[in-house]
Amino acid sequence: MGQARSSDEVTVIVSVFAMLPTAAPTASHRFAALLHVVHVAAALLSSVRHAALFVTSVLAVYLLQPATPIAHLDFWLPSASLLLVVVVWCATQPLRLEAMRETLVTAGLIAGLVLGIGALGITTQLCCVVTRMPPPNILVVAAAVAGGVLTCILVAIVFAGHPARTTWLVFALIALLVAVKLNWPISGADAPQAETASPAPPTFATIQWLGFSYIAFRLIHALRERALGKLPVMSLREFMTYVVFFPAIIAGPIDRVERFLKDLRAPFIFNMSDLVEGGRRLLIGVFKKFVIADALAIIALNDALAVQTQPGLWAWVLLYAYAFRIFFDFSGYTDMAIGLGRLFGIKLPENFNRPYLKPNLTQFWNSWHMTLAQWFRTYYFNPLTRALRMRNIAPPLIIFVTQTTTMLLIGLWHGLTWNFALWGVWHALGLFMHSRWSEFARARFGAQDASKLQWVTHLGGVVLTFHFVAFGWVWFALSNVETSLTFFRRLFGMP
Amino acid sequence: MNSNDITHTLSTYVTTQILKQPKRILKGDEPLISSGLIDSFHLVDLGLFIEDKFGVRIEDSELNADTFDTLDQLVVLIQSRQ
Repeated sequence: MGQARSSDEVTVIVSVFAMLPTAAPTASHRFAALLHVVHVAAALLSSVRHAALFVTSVLAVYLLQPATPIAHLDFWLPSASLLLVVVVWCATQPLRLEAMRETLVTAGLIAGLVLGIGALGITTQLCCVVTRMPPPNILVVAAAVAGGVLTCILVAIVFAGHPARTTWLVFALIALLVAVKLNWPISGADAPQAETASPAPPTFATIQWLGFSYIAFRLIHALRERALGKLPVMSLREFMTYVVFFPAIIAGPIDRVERFLKDLRAPFIFNMSDLVEGGRRLLIGVFKKFVIADALAIIALNDALAVQTQPGLWAWVLLYAYAFRIFFDFSGYTDMAIGLGRLFGIKLPENFNRPYLKPNLTQFWNSWHMTLAQWFRTYYFNPLTRALRMRNIAPPLIIFVTQTTTMLLIGLWHGLTWNFALWGVWHALGLFMHSRWSEFARARFGAQDASKLQWVTHLGGVVLTFHFVAFGWVWFALSNVETSLTFFRRLFGMP
Repeated sequence: MNSNDITHTLSTYVTTQILKQPKRILKGDEPLISSGLIDSFHLVDLGLFIEDKFGVRIEDSELNADTFDTLDQLVVLIQSRQ
């Protein structure tokens, strides 16, 4: 497709230049020539924009990767992200000979960027310009790139014409996601500790793989859509830009690939409204994250403050500060991502819609981290509910099972700890209770009866829902069950 | 089946089976999903009902307010696939 577009651009350029000397100086000819020029300019601008987004996004995978306690991991993890994207693209896209040239150019560019970053390790001045620590030996990097190329060719051969086989990759990605979320022992030699007389004891830590949770979910989305026959045909450059799109790599949102491609393929023309709206969202995001959220972080609930605080009022201050801090922090990141995307003509989906003003937990989950919730509905909750509805199982039991397991998985997506699991179960129970209450209330109270006291019930619902969510943050914010229970006691005046 | 018949069939299903308020009258432009009137579980049920009644498949990825949020939008979606 990219090749076809390039030849179109060449044709248009030739036609414009051929037309200019011979064109009769009529208004209609001038207008047609002007339209050609605008079309060519827009096409060139779109190509430049796409190339810039692609290169910036690939580089951002390395630039944003934090330092790791294990040597060279800050180079290998971003490289593995890129390899996974290429592997999934090879497994899901049909072989198109007409697009082979563009694919080889893109693959060569990715390999060149990886080798280039690896080659920076040769110099002492530039070794840490892109990665936090010096990259590994360039020969090892070159061997790894060659291995990656062979892997991709093998995957393309094995998966060609077999969409059902993409399920293997879904399970492989889930296994990898679980492995990344596990706590791994780091030997005393690898751990970043101060020098001591005796070797430091092993410590445990998760692998800080930048954006992998989001990358994995975008890849699983592509694999599932391929299995369902719904994945659009796209170039490697388009797919790479979608998966590692730099504004959304740290904290989402999780866009759908066909929606992203619509914006990416649309002619890119600078317009004032995109510039103003993008800039406005970016500034709002910066303010929410770096002013409000970071200020609230000083008094927001954490392990140390939870243990130190006295029972009573101050505990509530910590809890409320955390509730608002996490909202402003996360929605601030989303605003920045949406604003940056808008500046480049990509309208990323919204992730928040005033979640703390919702009158019940169901609506809260329709407005908090919306793209993650929608991902789980699409690929887990809805298929499971469909399957269970086909059997003779009581609806309340289906609701309980599907909601509990969905929320448990959402909790564990944040980290494989008991506290994240409890946070998920907490919300599952809340959702189940709300669903049962709705069923009970709808059958007994008509719409008109409810409308008389609508504003009172709405306000009560907002306060109740906010506090249910805030109590849930105790599990989320603290690292273990014991500290969480201690903090719950202190909230209610007990030592 | 014309759009009025589809609207009536859908409205009756939603008010009697989901909302359990048979006397309730749903407006064509009344938000169903974004308002929380229909939750995720009943949305799947609605999808199965549409599949059964109209022979139109609504994918799991389409069961959300972005694809349809009102009866009017749902009727247009069903008709476009019949």
